[in-house]
Amino acid sequence: LDLSNCSLHSVPPGLAEATAAIVLDLTENPLTALPSGSFLGFIQLQSLVVPPALECPGGSDAWQNVTVDRSSRLCQGQRNPCNSSVPLAWPCPENSVCAPDGPGLIQCLCDSPFHGYKCLREGMFPMLLFGGILGTATVSLSLLLWGTQRRKAKTP
Amino acid sequence: MAVPGSLRRQPANRGLVSHCTHHHIVVFLLTFFSYSLLHASRKTFSNVKVSISNQWTPSCKNSTAPELQPFELWNSSHLFSNAEEATLFLGTLDTIFLFSYAVGLFVSGIVGDRLNLRWVLSFGMCSSALVVFSFGTLTEWLHFYNKWFYCCLWVVNGLLQSTGWPCVVAVMGNWFGKAGRGFVFGLWSACASVGNILGAFLASCVLKYGYEYAFLVTASVQFAGGVIVFFGLLTSPKEVGLPELGADEDEASVEEDANRPLMGNDDVDDDDQNYSIQATDNDNQPKAIGFFQACCLPGVVLYSLAYACLKLVNYSFFFWLPFYLSNNFGWKEAEADQLSIWYDVGGIIGGTIQGLISDVLQKRAPVLAVSLLFAVGSLFGYSRSPNSKPINAVIMAITGFFIGGPSNMISSAISADLGRQDLVKGSSEALATVTGIVDGTGSIGAAVGQYLVSLIQDNLGWMWVFYFFILM
Repeated sequence: LDLSNCSLHSVPPGLAEATAAIVLDLTENPLTALPSGSFLGFIQLQSLVVPPALECPGGSDAWQNVTVDRSSRLCQGQRNPCNSSVPLAWPCPENSVCAPDGPGLIQCLCDSPFHGYKCLREGMFPMLLFGGILGTATVSLSLLLWGTQRRKAKTP
Repeated sequence: MAVPGSLRRQPANRGLVSHCTHHHIVVFLLTFFSYSLLHASRKTFSNVKVSISNQWTPSCKNSTAPELQPFELWNSSHLFSNAEEATLFLGTLDTIFLFSYAVGLFVSGIVGDRLNLRWVLSFGMCSSALVVFSFGTLTEWLHFYNKWFYCCLWVVNGLLQSTGWPCVVAVMGNWFGKAGRGFVFGLWSACASVGNILGAFLASCVLKYGYEYAFLVTASVQFAGGVIVFFGLLTSPKEVGLPELGADEDEASVEEDANRPLMGNDDVDDDDQNYSIQATDNDNQPKAIGFFQACCLPGVVLYSLAYACLKLVNYSFFFWLPFYLSNNFGWKEAEADQLSIWYDVGGIIGGTIQGLISDVLQKRAPVLAVSLLFAVGSLFGYSRSPNSKPINAVIMAITGFFIGGPSNMISSAISADLGRQDLVKGSSEALATVTGIVDGTGSIGAAVGQYLVSLIQDNLGWMWVFYFFILM
């Protein structure tokens, strides 16, 4: 994805949809800063070229190879931030695991078998089994009781 | 209470044994379990409070850490911005439930009198099950979270659940006469606590799948119970041609009131009215006494305040115990639910044993006072209890014993002792008024207490509030 020389003053909002990009070129743009959330979801990004005044997103630790020359800064080889030697400042909450979400960014996904909002739910509820047992019990008890009790009832 | 009644009860005892048919057993079990199921669905709500408040709030985070990703997974639910607000709302829900329950009791007594009890009871059970289902399960499946919707549903639930108690007591009154009633009713009144235990057990088993399944399970079991009640309940012996029980009893209504002991924690007002109208048609014409006259009876005010405080404590424990356990000690909600069962076990045992003791001693006040002193001590011990499950369970059972016991006794003692007073003799409707006052105060006290509990953040703080209430 080549966005060089597009006179961008700030990261365009449409960039967030291009998460499948593997190579991204932002050189020759008067960008002032790269906010940390701009590259959310760019897990396949392997090669990013930015104007030399800007830092690689996520810092130099997030990339295997950072080359700087006069006209551009090349960040190559996104590292998995979950494996980095620096321990994470905030571990993922209970029942979830770290997964990469872009250069220097992590997301917390639910550990299986947990799922649902905030990974609170575990496993699947045996709906058929429950319904079957309850239905059978209700029908048989109702029939039994009707037979022994109410059949002889006379409505007053 | 056993001594003066037993002399008159001997000839009737033979009658009890001789006409105990399988119909009696079925009626006993059906009414027992239908009220337990109603209580179980109430208990489910209190057991899943932690899960619900997690569902309604975004993940809490330190101010320095960035938001968790992905957004939908961790932060998308913004019904309440933090856990404290959610707790406050849950307390509000409890309060409005209790208020609508109290209102519904007045209405249900009248309705149950005019319509067939079986229809009212099964309608109440089934529709309350449907309301609980839409409250907990539908809203989660449709991801529709709305505060007003929850409030309205819960008000309706309170009204529908209030049909349960008057109906079951009336049916029991139709089938089991004054003879031997003490024992039968004593056993039967454990149904509320059994319902609590059942609800806690069901909820804790299913909670890991998500709180909506806890509601689904209790609601569907309650619905099934309503269907079974509809097909199997005989509301009175005359439906199958057995002799009506009122015919062979012409004692003064003093004895009738004296023999209504140990009615569980709940409200006793309109069941009295139902009972008096349906089963004793050859008693004196009941004269209702005025509201203010009832208030001025000696002991009414004192008992009602005491009952209000006790009911406040009792219901606060009932509603908030699992929440407290998992917040304070960080236990998983399912485990907290299982442990809160012990509180109800203590309550059952306490009610029975203390009722027996006070029957034997013929005096209620000393037993009450002693037990309340012990209750203070056990609450104190509970607030200091360490983070270990067996010790906590034991202390909880003891606390339940000492709080549930006096609560049961006051609700039964009032009907007995006040019934013996000369002003009220022959007037069970007056009794209904008086018990209505006492229970109403109790429920309002309980309702206010829920709101207070959710306002007060520090749990140890409210233990001290309880001391002041109990020591009155």
